Amino acid sequence: MVDDTPALPAMRTMGSRRNSLFSIFYQIKELSSSRDLLSQLTKREIAARYRQSALGLSWSVIEPILLAMTYYFLFVMLRGNTDKMYAVWILLGVLIWACFAKTLMGVVTSLSHNVSTIQAVYFARVIHPCVKMLSNIRITLLSCLVVIPIMIIGDLPFTIHLVWVFAAILMSGLLGFGFGMIFAPMNCSNRDLEHLFRFVTRAGFFLSPVMWTIDMALERGKLGEMVLFNPMATPLTLVRDGVSGNAPSIDLIWIAYSCGFIILSWIVGAYFFEKNQAEAVKHL
Amino acid sequence: MSHTTVEMENVGLHFPRSSGILASIKSLFKKNRSGFTALEGINLTVKSGEVVGIIGKNGSGKSTLLRVIAGIYPTDEGECRVRGDISLLSGLGTGFSRHLTGRENAILYGSILGHSIQTMEELMAEIIDFSELGEFIDQPLRTYSAGMKARLGLAVASAIQPDILLVDEVLGVGDPNFREKSMERILGMVEDAGTVVIVSHSFTLMKKICSRMILIHKGKILSEGEPESVIAAYYEANPK
Repeated sequence: MVDDTPALPAMRTMGSRRNSLFSIFYQIKELSSSRDLLSQLTKREIAARYRQSALGLSWSVIEPILLAMTYYFLFVMLRGNTDKMYAVWILLGVLIWACFAKTLMGVVTSLSHNVSTIQAVYFARVIHPCVKMLSNIRITLLSCLVVIPIMIIGDLPFTIHLVWVFAAILMSGLLGFGFGMIFAPMNCSNRDLEHLFRFVTRAGFFLSPVMWTIDMALERGKLGEMVLFNPMATPLTLVRDGVSGNAPSIDLIWIAYSCGFIILSWIVGAYFFEKNQAEAVKHL
Repeated sequence: MSHTTVEMENVGLHFPRSSGILASIKSLFKKNRSGFTALEGINLTVKSGEVVGIIGKNGSGKSTLLRVIAGIYPTDEGECRVRGDISLLSGLGTGFSRHLTGRENAILYGSILGHSIQTMEELMAEIIDFSELGEFIDQPLRTYSAGMKARLGLAVASAIQPDILLVDEVLGVGDPNFREKSMERILGMVEDAGTVVIVSHSFTLMKKICSRMILIHKGKILSEGEPESVIAAYYEANPK
């Protein structure tokens, strides 16, 4: 006789602590098996950001257009900069920096600002910071659409180097994700961090080549070269190279340095996040 | 034949006290052991087909116990093992987004519990019917009353038929008709060999539906057994 009784699922231990040394591998596995959920939560995150707004997601394109006009008025018309595209370089810097800064702030607060969900249902907690990164990357990609008409008006060539724009967006999002994960559990027990990071992202805005370009810094000699140690200097330069249709203007070694920094920040971030998240949610 | 679905063995849980920034940085590297004990030496076995009620004073550790079973809080001592899918219904529509509609929230909740969008779409008619939300299902959750949120929560959590349903202080909400319906739904789940663990202050309701009750007092199990005897133990431990 055939036994048609369904097999019982095995008992599993709840809330077991994991070996943090392999956290990044656990996280990659969890994220890849939660693609549907990631997509749903990212959609929710973006919807919440533009809630009760008639123009909704269009704001991600309208805002950079208005910014470009403001920068053109300020830097080209008022200040008399001879490079007519200067406003566009500034705009690209601002968009890439915003992707990094908003991801970083979002990731740092991803546990502390999701109390109701965290206390109601359990799912892999790395999904919370990942949703912040994905929503910011998606919005920045949309915002960057504004460069298409600008490139046509400015007679800039559409070349294969446009791929650097995507690389720059991805790099800035991943850096904010990895770095922010180190501090996300800490922010559950102490909200001073939130305020500290608000200052860090504002100070970083001026210390990174956002309102100026890397060439300006390099003209200052040795001191200027120090800027290249800032991991955001590479994506901020790559996005401008991509739009101007040129190959990367910084040495490959600095691109490798920036990529290495991003990977390291994810490894360290994953380690501290997995080690401390379970304890951190008890503070919520 | 019934089988074990929840097994807690000498479970202990401590909540840390809030700390300064230096202590927070230190906690990155070393676990902070100071704080208060929320659960201590909890031993509990729940079998399929059981409705277990948990009672106790506010702050005694009832909701914390449910959250340990749901995997939200990891145990500091002992072990908690479960068999099958778990759905925790805690508070009014908790975990739902105020800005999404009832329908979108139902799909999102299903995704969190590993169900596809298609499965949730198929269950939608049943969810709307049970929750009695009608056309409100397409309105944002912020426009819902407390009762409507509770109805949606129970409709979604039970429609996906988890192996273990954890219910925290929700059944007392809503009008008498809905309370009756909720009870029927829960008893129906149990007939399908599901497991239900309920936290409530409504002893009348608990007596009606629970096969077994547990009294939690200051994070420890003080009494366990037939509903009448556990309720009597509650009044003994907490004289008026």
